Amino acid sequence: MLRVENLSVAYGGVNVIRGVSFELRPSLVALIGPNGSGKTTLLKAIAGMIPYSGEVFIGSTNLRSVHAGERTKYVTYIPSTISALPDMTIGDLLLSDNSADVALLERYVRIFGVENLLFRRIWEVSSGELERALLARGLARHAKVLLVDEPLSYTDVKYQLVIMRCLRRLANEGKVVIVASNQLNPLLNYVDHVLALKDGKLFINASLGAGVDEGKLSELYGVKMKVIVVNNTVDVVPVDETLSED
Amino acid sequence: MAQLSFGAVTLNPLHVLEDGLREILTATTGLARYRLERALAGVVVGASLALSGYLIQTTTRNPLGDPYLLGISSGALFAVVLTFALPASAITLFVVRPFVALAGGIIAYLLTLLIASKAGMTPTSIVLSGVAVGTFFYSASLFPQYFILRDIHKVFAWSMGSLVVVNISKPIAIAFALTVCTLYSCVSRNVLNALSISDDFVRDLGRDPSRERVILTAMAAILASFCVAYFGVIGFVGLASPHFARRLLGSGDARYIIPLSLVFGASMLSLTDVVAKTVFYPIEVPVNVIVSLVGAPTLAAIMVGMRRYAKG
Repeated sequence: MLRVENLSVAYGGVNVIRGVSFELRPSLVALIGPNGSGKTTLLKAIAGMIPYSGEVFIGSTNLRSVHAGERTKYVTYIPSTISALPDMTIGDLLLSDNSADVALLERYVRIFGVENLLFRRIWEVSSGELERALLARGLARHAKVLLVDEPLSYTDVKYQLVIMRCLRRLANEGKVVIVASNQLNPLLNYVDHVLALKDGKLFINASLGAGVDEGKLSELYGVKMKVIVVNNTVDVVPVDETLSED
Repeated sequence: MAQLSFGAVTLNPLHVLEDGLREILTATTGLARYRLERALAGVVVGASLALSGYLIQTTTRNPLGDPYLLGISSGALFAVVLTFALPASAITLFVVRPFVALAGGIIAYLLTLLIASKAGMTPTSIVLSGVAVGTFFYSASLFPQYFILRDIHKVFAWSMGSLVVVNISKPIAIAFALTVCTLYSCVSRNVLNALSISDDFVRDLGRDPSRERVILTAMAAILASFCVAYFGVIGFVGLASPHFARRLLGSGDARYIIPLSLVFGASMLSLTDVVAKTVFYPIEVPVNVIVSLVGAPTLAAIMVGMRRYAKG
């Protein structure tokens, strides 16, 4: 349903994304990769928020043919940080989206536990609470493709699971949901597919059915990675070899 | 707009004392007419500075944003100082000087815009280039001031701001600009809300944040330049009005903040102008001095008070 063909992005003469191509059915997808590998840039390009070369199709629609104001009906990018004017409240943030489905918004506000924060100023709430509010705002649109940038970075473990369950359900309902994050646990326990970026190129593009490839992950991050399975829960932990030297 | 103006005019106690609004409006001679014009100036200048301040604060996401953040007042000051080299005729005083000040303010803005656009047109680049341009023109204006010492008090008086109206066309010109800018801001309320949170949200609306910044700061610059050119530098109203509105509402939504800021700006300047011309009678104090003297503690009190209230 989402097809990305030879997508490249250049910032000031430097190629940040270099010829990325992939095709995804409705599914929950992890987008992983080291800091600066281009995850956010790739998501923003797919969302049509920055200039790119190559093509992005959703279904049979080329996103270039969609009017800019209509794009969020197809694809929506959900950031995890903002730099708002002080005095804006969480309520202002949630209601600043006029394409939102208000009933849906109310549902997500409850699911993500932000209903008591509506009159708090943005700078007064914690990063995790802000992240949840941004997620509620972004999910309250009926976009076919959801691009979620670092939703797990600041949230506590309970809401990490709440968020992943919620995104899992959206994928089951027929959406393509791409989650950019390096929180491999819990991420890898919920996703169907893994995309990994390294230096702006697609390094891993694999369904998770075959299990997690330790070797590939080690190469991706440049440290030894070990897969541990406890009670059917997968965790991938970095192994610091200097710790076991003595 | 009319409703707003009359609302604020009736707040002006001098006119409440008159025999009703109709009589003032039909007055053709002397004091009543002069006062009406001055009241009109207070309302439109106050409202314009408030809207200008709101637009600057929103586009730069800077709570310290005020209409002069783009270097406008310094550009106008520099231009005005240059006019003191001309022979001091009535034409210089009433025609050339406001026009030159307007041009100076707008040139300063364009320069700020040029530098900011080379630097990516981000909130920070606008603030920094505005400060650079403002500082440059301010310092540049000191040179000639140093050599025209005999007129220095005139420059000083001009830079302090006064609502003395010599020509009714001035407040009317500002009212026209204000109406256009207010309408555009209301139409752009979604963009303004998005801009005050994140550029990503503006892109979600299918708009280019840099382009929107150029348009909206241009409006702020035009409003502020008109005010500076015709009535001198009147500070604080532009900075404080949007804050008063936001603090009062506990929200930053453009739909409520724009009208409320306009009302606050208009009332604040009208009321303080009354104080400015009466308290030290028969000497008239520059309105800029009074509005800051009264306004600054009020803003501080509101911030502290609302904070305590919010804590419950």
